[in-house]
Amino acid sequence: MSTKTAKEAADAAPATAAEDAVALEAYREVTRIRALELLLNRYVKEHGFGGFWHPGLGQEAVQAGAVMPLRDEDYLFYAHRGLGYALVKGMAPEVLLGDLLGRTGGSVGGKGGGTVHFVDPDIGVLGQGGTLGSNFVLGAGAATSVQLLGEDRVVAIFFGDGAAARGTFHEAALQAAVWKLPIVWVCENNGWHLSAPFSDQSPTEDIADRASAYGVPGVVVDGQDALAVRAATLEAVERARAGEGPTLIEAKTLRIRGHYEGDPQKYRDDIADGLEVPRDPLKILRERVPAAEADALDAAAAEEADGALETALAMPKGGPEVITEGVWADEEAGS
Amino acid sequence: MSATPTAAPGTLVSEVPDGVETERIGYAWAINHALAEEMRRDPRVWMMGQDIGKMGGVFGVTRGLFDEFGPMRVRDTTINETFIVGGAAGAAMTGTIPVVELQFADFGLVAGDEIFHKLAKWRYMHGGKLELPAVVRLPTGVVGGAGAEHSQSLEAMGMHVPGLKVALPATPADAKGLLKTAIHDRNPVLFFEHKGMYRMKGEVPTGDDYLVPFGVAAVRRHGDAATVVATGLMVPRALEAAEKLSAEGIELEVIDPRTLVPLDMETIVTSVERTGRALVVQEAVRTAGAGAEIAARIQEAVFFALDAPVWRLGALDTPVPQDPDLEQLVIPSATQIEAAARELVAL
Repeated sequence: MSTKTAKEAADAAPATAAEDAVALEAYREVTRIRALELLLNRYVKEHGFGGFWHPGLGQEAVQAGAVMPLRDEDYLFYAHRGLGYALVKGMAPEVLLGDLLGRTGGSVGGKGGGTVHFVDPDIGVLGQGGTLGSNFVLGAGAATSVQLLGEDRVVAIFFGDGAAARGTFHEAALQAAVWKLPIVWVCENNGWHLSAPFSDQSPTEDIADRASAYGVPGVVVDGQDALAVRAATLEAVERARAGEGPTLIEAKTLRIRGHYEGDPQKYRDDIADGLEVPRDPLKILRERVPAAEADALDAAAAEEADGALETALAMPKGGPEVITEGVWADEEAGS
Repeated sequence: MSATPTAAPGTLVSEVPDGVETERIGYAWAINHALAEEMRRDPRVWMMGQDIGKMGGVFGVTRGLFDEFGPMRVRDTTINETFIVGGAAGAAMTGTIPVVELQFADFGLVAGDEIFHKLAKWRYMHGGKLELPAVVRLPTGVVGGAGAEHSQSLEAMGMHVPGLKVALPATPADAKGLLKTAIHDRNPVLFFEHKGMYRMKGEVPTGDDYLVPFGVAAVRRHGDAATVVATGLMVPRALEAAEKLSAEGIELEVIDPRTLVPLDMETIVTSVERTGRALVVQEAVRTAGAGAEIAARIQEAVFFALDAPVWRLGALDTPVPQDPDLEQLVIPSATQIEAAARELVAL
C-alpha cells in the first residue's frame, strides 16, 4: 500500500505530452463536477428540493479520477454522494439534473427526485441502490456475466467508508476474489458514516487493509489528487481486464457539506459550514495545467452547469402516469 | 386443462395434453430436466448456489449438470445468500440469465434486500431501462424435521412486494413446465419448489418445448359441491380429501393456481360462482397468507353467488417444530381438508 501524490510523481520524472493531456482532462472533469456541485448548492438553498441532495463537494477528484480510466462498455455502480460518477462516465448534465428534479427528461423518466437513481445501460451506468452496500453483490453479479460471456469489461463499484461495513462487501468480495472477477472497488473514505466519525467505527486506519483478507491488492490513494486516483484505478482496471481479479482502492477524501444539503451537522466541529475545500482538488490539479486553460475550463463548466439547469427546469415533471410504469418487463404481467 | 363446467363431477383432469409424449419421473428430476434443457437451449443460462456443483445440491436436484455444463455455468458458491441473489440481479441486468438455488426458501430472508429491493425494484427505480430475467429456486415447505428456519412457506411475501413473479408447482409436469417458463420470463421469478414433493412421481412431457404458462390455474378435479383452491403440497392432499368425500356423494372441485403472481382469479371465481362455496388451503401459516388474499378476492368478485363464507385452512400460527411427527400436525392434513370441506358443504 502506498500513497503517492501527482506532485511527487511529477517531480520524479518530467511530464510527457500524454501526461499533460491527462492532467488537463482531469481538470476538465473535476471542474465540471464542481460547477454542478456549486450550482446544486445554490439551487437547493434558493428553491428547496423535493427529496434529498447528498452533496459530493470535495470528493470530485475521486469520482473523476476513478471513472476516467473506464471505457464506455465498462459497468459503473456509483455511490449516492454527488453525480460526478455518472457525469464523467458520459451522462449529460441536464439528464442528471432532470432526474434530481423529477423531470421526465431524466434518465428514469420522471420517477426521480433527489439523489440516487441515474441509469444509462448504453454506457454502462447501471444504477444505485437505496440500501447502501447493495452495489457490492450486484456488481459482482455483473462481473460474473462479463466472465461468462467472455467480455473484457470491467465493473467499477463505488462506496463510502460507511457502506464498507456492510456484510454484502464480505460476501461479494470473497466470491469475487475466488472467481477472479473483473472488479474495481473504489472506496470514497470521507471520514464520516453520516454522523459517526470513521475513526470511531473502524478498528484500523485504512479500509484498504481489508483487501488482504481476500488476497487482493488494497491501495490507499490521496482522494484529493485526481491524477493519483486515476493512476491507481488505471492499474486496477488493467489488472481486472487481464483476468487477475479485483482490487480495492481507498481514496482518502473529505466531506465538506452535510450528509444531505440542509443537514445542520450538529455532530461535527471539524469544518465550517461553507464551500471551502481544504486540499482542493482543483488547486492541486492547477499545479499541473496551464492557468489560462484551467480558467477556460472553469468558465466552460459553469456555462455547462447553468445551461443544464435551464434545460432540466424546462422539462415536464413526471405525472401520475409514471407511477405504474416500469414494474414489469412485459407490462401486462402481474396480478 | 380449462374449467369446463359441463365435466362430470369427480372427473380428475389430466394435466398433460393428449398426444404429448411423457415419461414417469419425480418432481426433482423434472426440475433437473428443465434446467438441463434450458442450459442446452440458451448459453446465457447459468446457475449458482451452495453445493449445486459436484454434489448436485443438498436435495440432489442439480445432479449431473456440473458434469455436462462445467464449473463456469454451474457455480458452487460459499455461504453467501446476499451474493447468490444479489449477484443474480446484477448478472440478469448485464446479459445473462441466472437460475440460482437457495438451499432452503427460508434463506431468502437472509437475502431479503436482494429479493425484495433489488430483484423486485431495480427495473422500476431505473425507469424501466433494465431487465432482470433471474430465477431464484426456493425449496419450500415441511420436509421431515428440518426445523423452524428450514420449513416455512413464505410465498405470500413474494406476492406482497410488487415486481416479483411467484410460481409454486404442485406436480412433476408443472415443476418442469413452470420452471422453463420462469427461465424464459423477462422478469424475476421466485420459484417455490416443495422439498417434500421432490420424490413424487408423475407423467412429465419429454419434449424440450413443454412450457406451462404463468397465470393459468389448473383445475385438477371437477366437482359441484365446493371449490377448493390449494397450492403446493396441499394440492395432492386436497385431491385425497376429495376422493374420500366422493364416497359420500360430495364432489369437490380442486383448483391449483400454479402461480400466485400473476394470479388467475378468473378460473377461481368462475368455479366458485358455480359451486357457491370456497375453501382455500395453504401450507403457510393461516394468518396473512396467499390464501387470505385469494379469499378476499373471491368475496369481492362473487359475494352474491356465495352460499357460505369463504373458509381458509393453513398451518397453525406457530413456528414449525423440528420433530418430524409434530411438524405434520402443524400443517393441514388431507383429513383436515376433508373435514373442513364436509362442514363447509353442510353450512
